[in-house]
Amino acid sequence: MKVDPRSKMLLVICISGLALIYNNPLQLALLLAVSLALLGAFRFDIGMIGGYLRPLVSLLLILFLIQCLFTKGGQVWLTIGQLELVSSAGLIAGASVVLRILVVVNSAMLLTTCSSRDFVLGLIQWKVPYEIAFMVSIALRFLPLFRDEMQNVITAVQLRGVELKKVAWGEKISMYRTLIFPVVYRTMLKAQQLSIVMEARGFRAYPRRTYLRRLDLYWADYVIMSLALTVTVILLVGQIL
Amino acid sequence: MSFIELRQVEFCYPRQSSPAVTDINLKLEKKAITAVVGPNGSGKTTLTRLIIGILPPDKGEIYLTRSPLARYTLAEVGARIGYIFQNPDLQLFCPSVAEEIAFGLSRAGQGPQWIKEKVDFFLEYFELDGYRNSFPMHLSQGEKQRLAIAAVLAHEPEYLILDEPTIGLDAFRKKQLVEYLHKVAGLGRGMLLVSHDMAFVNKLAERLISMENGRIQSDSERRGRLLNEG
Amino acid sequence: MEVMAAKNLNYRYEPDSPPVLWDINLQLQRGEFAVVSGLSGCGKSTLCLCLSGAIRHQRDGIMSGEIWLNGKNTRDIRGAELALEVGIVFQDPDTQLFSPTVEDEIAFAPENLCLPPELIQERLDYVLDILGITALRYANPAHLSGGEKQLVALAAVLALDPPLLILDEVMSQLDAAANKAVAAAIYKLHSQGKTILAVEHNLEALMGADRLLIMERGHLIRSDKPEVILSDRDFLLVHQLADD
Repeated sequence: MKVDPRSKMLLVICISGLALIYNNPLQLALLLAVSLALLGAFRFDIGMIGGYLRPLVSLLLILFLIQCLFTKGGQVWLTIGQLELVSSAGLIAGASVVLRILVVVNSAMLLTTCSSRDFVLGLIQWKVPYEIAFMVSIALRFLPLFRDEMQNVITAVQLRGVELKKVAWGEKISMYRTLIFPVVYRTMLKAQQLSIVMEARGFRAYPRRTYLRRLDLYWADYVIMSLALTVTVILLVGQIL
Repeated sequence: MSFIELRQVEFCYPRQSSPAVTDINLKLEKKAITAVVGPNGSGKTTLTRLIIGILPPDKGEIYLTRSPLARYTLAEVGARIGYIFQNPDLQLFCPSVAEEIAFGLSRAGQGPQWIKEKVDFFLEYFELDGYRNSFPMHLSQGEKQRLAIAAVLAHEPEYLILDEPTIGLDAFRKKQLVEYLHKVAGLGRGMLLVSHDMAFVNKLAERLISMENGRIQSDSERRGRLLNEG
Repeated sequence: MEVMAAKNLNYRYEPDSPPVLWDINLQLQRGEFAVVSGLSGCGKSTLCLCLSGAIRHQRDGIMSGEIWLNGKNTRDIRGAELALEVGIVFQDPDTQLFSPTVEDEIAFAPENLCLPPELIQERLDYVLDILGITALRYANPAHLSGGEKQLVALAAVLALDPPLLILDEVMSQLDAAANKAVAAAIYKLHSQGKTILAVEHNLEALMGADRLLIMERGHLIRSDKPEVILSDRDFLLVHQLADD
């Protein structure tokens, strides 16, 4: 069953929208479950999720701690002397922040289940200017390239005999700061080469362009989109009231 | 026991139906120049990545100086084996040529004078003196390659692996590379050369291993060129 | 009829830097197949970029002299419309392909030039057929071998049916088998009447060419049939072009 990328885009918008409105970890966890179920339904390799989320773990942990420590209220769980550290309101706030981010990231991954051509066509058929649509698609394409370059540099540094785990934190940070430069430089070089190639093939010759294939909406898409919209509206109204 | 040994090694890339290398049994000596030849897709590069430890074998074992490779960290392997990527860009990451060669040398605990002498030595040895303060990305392909070799050699590894070093080099620079590699061998290091360029390999290799479809097809000794070169 | 003419072409990166190209005069007749060769750094790739218009429209530097394509001065042709006059394929298979399928990659150029979908479909079928890559139609370009990628890159520029093809060291990064496949494709296109300018540092890469031009330090020093130059040992030795 082929689902139009526009249906998927709508799903992402609906789920992310709800995630921004909900404040309750329970509701957010349910949303997360729904987004994971959808990823599975669209045949996204669940194992890949780990790969995407791993770089975020430290960030999520920091956010959790900050929210937890600075939000007070409800039952107190941990004190040091007179200082209230962890309260139930704090735990709830922390969990909510983390879950919210997870939901948004997961639902965005739904967009990677369509080919970049379909994604661009979807945006264009929704009247986004084609330059912007291509820009988004190529930026998405560059993220893994950027990640690959970082991985290459880390491997190269280790192969030079430098044991990264044994490097002190202060030195490690300054090392990463110097290393980010060649990574950015090389990615930009690739971007420049790509732009030469694209222009040599006539990109942006004219304000419009034609397309070999078009996207059509089928009944499955209409069903998905109307269901998504109705459910979202109901939930929104329920939340407000 | 040999410097590097592979026993019954097999490896398959994820999402590929057939293994990139199978049934690899190989012993490599520290001081020799060995060449691995074969067409694209024969598994030569995969073999080097397995030896250096970037890829873990699906089956079989790999040993480096008698210990299982799995027990070494990537840095520990890198200290013993210098790896030159097919694309030297992948291993150059410092703001200047001199810093690239000096990278990591401060860990040896020998002091700045020692480091300076080393850098000067390699800059001269590989004729990169004029580029001391240049940005590595601005060098030509051949120069970047020499820089990668210098930067790796500065750590005094016992052995070198070079993956397709002749790609993108013209006839003149290929000849130059042969000379540089002779110089490296003159510093007492053996190496493993992976190449599809037979003319290049014939000028250097003492031992020739050919691969096809992920298997070793032949493995023969040749009279060392080093002995009768002037 | 001249398909391409470069007159008094000079190029340098900065006003005070040494010239990368100087006093280049070169003409290609319709249907001619010329190879430009020389050592690394002699300026052959820069020549390709100038002739295809990539230099001047996208890259900086100071270029003087004129370049005429199909009777039009490149100064008068809008950047992206150059794609209709000349197709250029580059050395690195990995930075030229960016679409999810080979079909999309080939359709990209005609779509940009607003060709109607039926015509795009025709061109697509034709190009896949003539290069023998119909089987790769729905493949993901990122998963192809080096040789296949270069064939797809070639197909992608052929889709606009440009009279002139410029090939910038398209075989340098390929092994012998892939080289054969790409060379065969080039010869086939030549036999179909395309005008081709190929740059290769390997003098023997394309022996079937009509002409071999040698560049040294930014200047064209010789133009002759490939067999003639390759049998001139003294010339090759003096200019360090001999393989041994």
